[in-house]
Amino acid sequence: MAVTKVVMPKLSEAMESGKIIKWLKKEGDRIQGGDILAEVETDKADVEMEAFGGGVLRKILAPAGETVPVGVLIGVIAEPGDDVAALIASAPAPAPARAGAPALAVAAPSTPAPTPTASPRPPAVAPGPMRPSPVTSAPAAAVAAQPSGGRVKASPLAKKIAAQTGVDLRLLQGSGPGGRIVRRDVETAGAAPAAMRAVPDAEFEDRPLSQMRAAIARQMPLSKAPVPHFYVTNEVAMDRAWELREELNALEGQPKISLNDLVIRACALALLQHPGVNASFRGDAIRVFHRAHIGIAVALEEGLITPVLRDCHAKSLAQIAVESRDLAERARVRKLRAQELSGATFSISNLGMFDVAEFSAIINPPEGAILAVGSVRRVPVVDEAGLGVGRRMALTISCDHRVMDGAMGARFLQDVKRLLEEPLRLLV
Amino acid sequence: MASHKFDVAIVGTGPGGYVAAIRCAQLGLTVGVVEDDRPGGVCLNWGCIPTKALLRNAEVVSLLGRAAEFGIRLSGFEVNYAEAVQRSRRVADRMAKGVEFLFRKNKIALFPGRGTLTSKNVVEVKGTSGVETLEARAVILATGSEPKSLPGVAIDEKTVISSTGAVRNERAPKSLAIIGAGAVGVEFADVYAAYGVQVTLLEALPRIVPLEDEEVAKELTRTFTRRGITVKTGVKVASAKPGGPGLVVETDDGKLEVEQVLMAVGRAAKVTGLGLEAVGVQLERGFVKVSPLMETSVKGLYAIGDMAGAPLLAHKAMAEGVVAAESIAGRAPRPLDYGNIPSCTYCRPQIASIGSSEARAREQGRDVTVGKFPFTASGKAVALGETEGFIKVVADKATGELLGVHIVGPEATEIIHEFAVGRTLEATLEEIIHTIHAHPTLSEAALEATLAALGQAIHI
Repeated sequence: MAVTKVVMPKLSEAMESGKIIKWLKKEGDRIQGGDILAEVETDKADVEMEAFGGGVLRKILAPAGETVPVGVLIGVIAEPGDDVAALIASAPAPAPARAGAPALAVAAPSTPAPTPTASPRPPAVAPGPMRPSPVTSAPAAAVAAQPSGGRVKASPLAKKIAAQTGVDLRLLQGSGPGGRIVRRDVETAGAAPAAMRAVPDAEFEDRPLSQMRAAIARQMPLSKAPVPHFYVTNEVAMDRAWELREELNALEGQPKISLNDLVIRACALALLQHPGVNASFRGDAIRVFHRAHIGIAVALEEGLITPVLRDCHAKSLAQIAVESRDLAERARVRKLRAQELSGATFSISNLGMFDVAEFSAIINPPEGAILAVGSVRRVPVVDEAGLGVGRRMALTISCDHRVMDGAMGARFLQDVKRLLEEPLRLLV
Repeated sequence: MASHKFDVAIVGTGPGGYVAAIRCAQLGLTVGVVEDDRPGGVCLNWGCIPTKALLRNAEVVSLLGRAAEFGIRLSGFEVNYAEAVQRSRRVADRMAKGVEFLFRKNKIALFPGRGTLTSKNVVEVKGTSGVETLEARAVILATGSEPKSLPGVAIDEKTVISSTGAVRNERAPKSLAIIGAGAVGVEFADVYAAYGVQVTLLEALPRIVPLEDEEVAKELTRTFTRRGITVKTGVKVASAKPGGPGLVVETDDGKLEVEQVLMAVGRAAKVTGLGLEAVGVQLERGFVKVSPLMETSVKGLYAIGDMAGAPLLAHKAMAEGVVAAESIAGRAPRPLDYGNIPSCTYCRPQIASIGSSEARAREQGRDVTVGKFPFTASGKAVALGETEGFIKVVADKATGELLGVHIVGPEATEIIHEFAVGRTLEATLEEIIHTIHAHPTLSEAALEATLAALGQAIHI
């Protein structure tokens, strides 16, 4: 059998390094191709890492908790008889990315060393000699806040109280056995008045960047500066779309449709009409996509993530509703698959739920445009009948000027507007 | 005068003291223990264990009385109370020997005699073979408690007996007044009544087993009365004087003539004669004041068990013994959760409870939901012919938190632990109902009562 090198996989477009959350196999375990070897935290999600070859997991080179650049050897799978000593010995400690891995020109070693979340454990008490007057009056050693992404260890009661009082368990330090969050932890957190929570003793605190925050910080300047953005805004009368949605949602046995689902469907149809917007700047060419893979920005506690709803142009409103909800829910619990995190040709960012009049978004390269969706607001409108009340929603498209011009963006937006204002078109 | 040095000296070898000693030894500390009675304390020798043996006798007697119910015809049978007491002594002896064995196994040195603190880390032992001193880096006091009496009623262990006298007394009186209807009172009422003693149970508070949920007290009163035990509540005893068949008990509800009186009004911490004042140990309402890690107001001096405060229960003492030992060994033990200690009474039907009664939960302003399941609806209970009682689950309406569980019925003292574990793990009603309970068992009633709290009971 061949020796299989296990390297940190590139699980998303922008991924430069990954942190091993935990190994699901241990040294000596027999592995078959396709077995899940480990869970890896990337900048976007927690992803399961598959084995690409069979044999015995002979060596684990990167223990759980370690952050490793893409392409670096983290384990070796081989048959028991195979000599892997040389391979293991040759493994460069924190090596740069493997040659040949594409799109890795960005210097990787900036990745911080294993995240400094180690808890301030009390000094271990020396064994044997006794301490007649122990100073440990605290019931248990403080344990660091729950690792993000991992399972939150909390009692059933603590979970229920947290859900009812809106306490985020991930932010709590558990005082129960092994750092388990128990009732009193949640109650203490819930009882602390907001003002008290907001004004700690220290003047400020430096919060280490999460993988996701670091990725956003790295990626956004790469978009905003080199990509010449221009913006086009229009206003859509949403009265009929609103009514249609209410009617659809009154139907029994049908998935619930959100306003964003209507926008996704409208964009998908409009993108087919305006392929120039569904395009990417390639340096010496403009790549025009024939399919509409739409990225849907989902806000999370620690940043945002844009899972991709593929082939939107070929999906019904109901399909879009079901799949986008599933993507959003899994994004929140960071259970997205790697392929769901890359390959968008266009993106939509909706801040409607935050009572936003309008805003503009930053393009996610290599996409050529992103649509920013504001709230549906009830405003005074003037029509043939005179002054009335209507539902209006602002759409702002950010376009890459290298790919398209203002008129193209405006025509696309006009079509989106028409589809939403004559919403039966979304159903056919 | 011989002098010995240990890491830890422990005064008293009841359930608190012997468990602390063994845990200290496990943690690599050298231990000397002082005991003026047999190892095992009141629990093994004069309390929990011998009374459980007597209660078992009472159960067997009552089952024989019910033989016809099971299709068994007896041409009469004889019971002998003296032999019941002798059996209970054998049981106690065997358990006390077990503690002596555990001491040897863990290399714990036993010093028979009475221990007194001469300083915070020196215990003087006055034994039969003279005076010895134990010098230790930490001392654990675990001297326990003794029966209390009332003014106007002196315990002489002849006509006015305590529980200690009762477990020794091989002769059952013809008539007995039991003053105090807590756990001790109702257990002896059960034993004596089974052996044909005319028992009158006197309780000053408005109901018997006053620490238990009101419905539980009501159920026990009902079955006791049916068995011929006279239950008088809200009655204050003024005096017990010689007269009539033995004693005349004067109460605010009239006079009562009985052969014997059993005082069961509670227990007082044994804190005198230990030298506590000399080393400056602070007391609080008659008990030694301790920290959550069982240290007294004097550094390096610990107190556990009955002497360290309520509840006066052997299992609480054992748990405190572990906390004290681990604390001395420099571990960081988890202090006891005093709100989560099961309370068990072994009369028939048995009583077991944990957490708050329904009334108490409501007083605390909790919005509660209550689920109740009677053993009459339990297949196992009917098959056993033990259908008295019920399980009552009190939970928070919003969260399903298990606020309290109250059981009266067969094997109540065994069933309670699933709720103890549940509460420790902060399980809610849902976790209990998602736990599959084997059929047929008495524990199914625990599941059903939990379901009932959610309005989902199947079998009622």
